[in-house]
Amino acid sequence: MNTLSGLFLSAAGKFSSRTAVVEDGISVTYGDLARGALGFASYLSSRGVRKGDRVAIFLPNSIEFVEAVFGVSLSGGVSVPINSSFRTDEVGFYLEHSGARLIVTGDESINTALKASSGRGIEAVSIKGDKAAWKSPGNQHDEAAEAGVGPEDEAIYLYSTGSTGKPKRVARTHYNLSALADNHTETVGWTEEDRVLFVVPISHTYGFGNFISAVKSGAAVVVSGEFNRNGVLDLLEKERITAFPAVPVMLDVLSKTYMDGPRDLSSLKLVISAGAPLKEETFVKFHEKFSVYPRQLYGSTETGVISINLCGGDEIERRFNSVGRPVKNVSVKVFGEDGREAGTGEPGELAVRSPSMAAGYYGLPEETARVFRDGYYFTGDLGMIDEAGYIYINGRKKFLINVGGFKVDPGEVENLLSQHPDIAEAAVLGVTDGRGNERVKAVIVARRPMEVKDVLGFCRERIAEYKVPALVEFRRELPRSPTGKILREQLK
Amino acid sequence: MRDAIKSRVKKILSVNMLKDIDLQELGDDTPLLDYGVGIDSVSRLEFLVALEEEFGVRLDEGEITPDFFETVDSISDYISRRVP
Repeated sequence: MNTLSGLFLSAAGKFSSRTAVVEDGISVTYGDLARGALGFASYLSSRGVRKGDRVAIFLPNSIEFVEAVFGVSLSGGVSVPINSSFRTDEVGFYLEHSGARLIVTGDESINTALKASSGRGIEAVSIKGDKAAWKSPGNQHDEAAEAGVGPEDEAIYLYSTGSTGKPKRVARTHYNLSALADNHTETVGWTEEDRVLFVVPISHTYGFGNFISAVKSGAAVVVSGEFNRNGVLDLLEKERITAFPAVPVMLDVLSKTYMDGPRDLSSLKLVISAGAPLKEETFVKFHEKFSVYPRQLYGSTETGVISINLCGGDEIERRFNSVGRPVKNVSVKVFGEDGREAGTGEPGELAVRSPSMAAGYYGLPEETARVFRDGYYFTGDLGMIDEAGYIYINGRKKFLINVGGFKVDPGEVENLLSQHPDIAEAAVLGVTDGRGNERVKAVIVARRPMEVKDVLGFCRERIAEYKVPALVEFRRELPRSPTGKILREQLK
Repeated sequence: MRDAIKSRVKKILSVNMLKDIDLQELGDDTPLLDYGVGIDSVSRLEFLVALEEEFGVRLDEGEITPDFFETVDSISDYISRRVP
C-alpha cells in the first residue's frame, strides 16, 4: 500500500459509506469519491495520459481537486498542483517546467489555462462547472483504469520558492507520500470521526500533507476555496469541524473578528498554525475567544511535515512558540556554522531526515548537493532544540519574504518589474507592517514619470496577488555598496 | 459625528499603512493605495478587523468592494452608515 492510489483505495474501501469531502454543503462519500477518481483516471486514459505523464491541476480546494489528485495517481500519472490564484505567465512556467501533458481546471480559470498552455502542445480542459468536459460519475460506476505504479515512482511535483528568481521542482514519490501520511496521521491521531477544514490551499505542501493524512484516516475533508472570516466561522460551527490547519494571519483576524453572538466551536480540538511564526498575542487571543490553543506545525516542501507541538495541559502556554517535536519517523538535528552538530539549546541550522523527503531539485545539481547531504535536508531555518526535544525557530538563512504563510522570492518580482518598459531598475524586499506581518515592498527607479497604480496594474496581470508589492516607492537611484551590491537595509 | 469617525479612521490607518505619514497631512481624499492600504487580502483583512474593533460593527469582506479602501472619505461614509 506504499502508493498514493493504494492509500486512497484502502481508505475508500474501509470508509466507503462515510463522508469524504464536503464543499458548499454538498457531501460525497469515500465510495462516491473512489468512483469519481476511477472515472477521472479513465478519462485521463482516453486523453492519452500514460504512466509517468504529468497532469497539472489548476483548481481551488474542491471536490474536483480531490478527484483529480487521486484520479491522476490511479492513472499512473504525476500530479502537478498549481495555486489557483496564479496568473497566465506563472501557470505557463509550471506547465513548461513540469513537462505537463494536460492541464485540468474549472470554467472560471479555463481562459487562463488555455492561454498558458497555448503553443506548448498541452491540452487544457475544464472539469468543474457547467462547461466541464468531464464530470464526476457520482453514483454511477465507471470503468476503472488503474495503472500499476510502484513506491519509487514519482507521484507529485511540488514547487519550493527559491531565492534565484524561479521556483524549484521537488518530486515526491509514492513512498514519500505514503510515509508522510503514516507519520502525520499517527502523530496527530486522526480517525474517521474527524472533520478537517481546508481553507489553506491543498495545492500547497502544508495543505497537501494534512489532506492526505485526513484521507488516510477516513476523516471528512471540508473544503473552502477562499478565506472569509465569517464564512470560516460558519463552517467551523455548522460542519462540527474537529481540526483546522491555518496560517497565523487567519488565526489573528479570526481572534479579532466582531461576532454578533457566541459561536459553538466545541467540536474543535486541533488548530494548527504553520507557514509563519505564531505571535503570542494571536495565541492568547485565539484561546480566549475560542477556548482552543493554536499549535505550531513545521514543515517544508522538500520534506513534508517535520514536527508539531502537541504538548499537553498548561505546558502549551509555556511552549506556544515551539514548533514541537518531530513527527513519527522524522529526525531533526541542529548544525552549527562549523558544520558540527550543536548541543542542546545551542543555535544553528535545522536539518531534517525523513522518509517523506524528496531526493533533490530537478535540474539543479549544485543546489541539491548543497542542501541535501549526509541523508539530511538542510532547511535554511535557524533554531535550536531544547532539553525536552522541542524545536524553536528564530530565523532564516534564505532571503525570502513571508506573506501570510506564502513565501515570495524577491528575485521573481524584481525580474518581472525589470520587464516594464518604464522601469530602469527595481529592488524588492520585505517590510513589516504595524501588526508585525511581513509584506512585499518594491523600490523602483523609473525611466520616466509613472504612478503606483501603473506598477500595481502591471504586476496584478502577471503574478498572484500575494506577490504583488503592497508598497511601491520611487527613488532616483538605489543605494549600493562599493562592490555594486544593493543595500536593501537602506530601502526599508 | 462624521468628523469624529474620520479622525478614528485616520488613527487606525496610521497603524495599517506601510509608509510613515503625518496624520495632519493625510487628507480625506488622499489615495490610500499609495500607502499600501487595501492592496492585498492580508491588508484588507487586517484593516477590516481594526475597524470592527474600533467601531464595534460587523464588516463582511464578501460585501465590501475595492472602492471602500480608496480614501478616508469612502471608508468613513461606509462606517457612518453602519454605526448605530
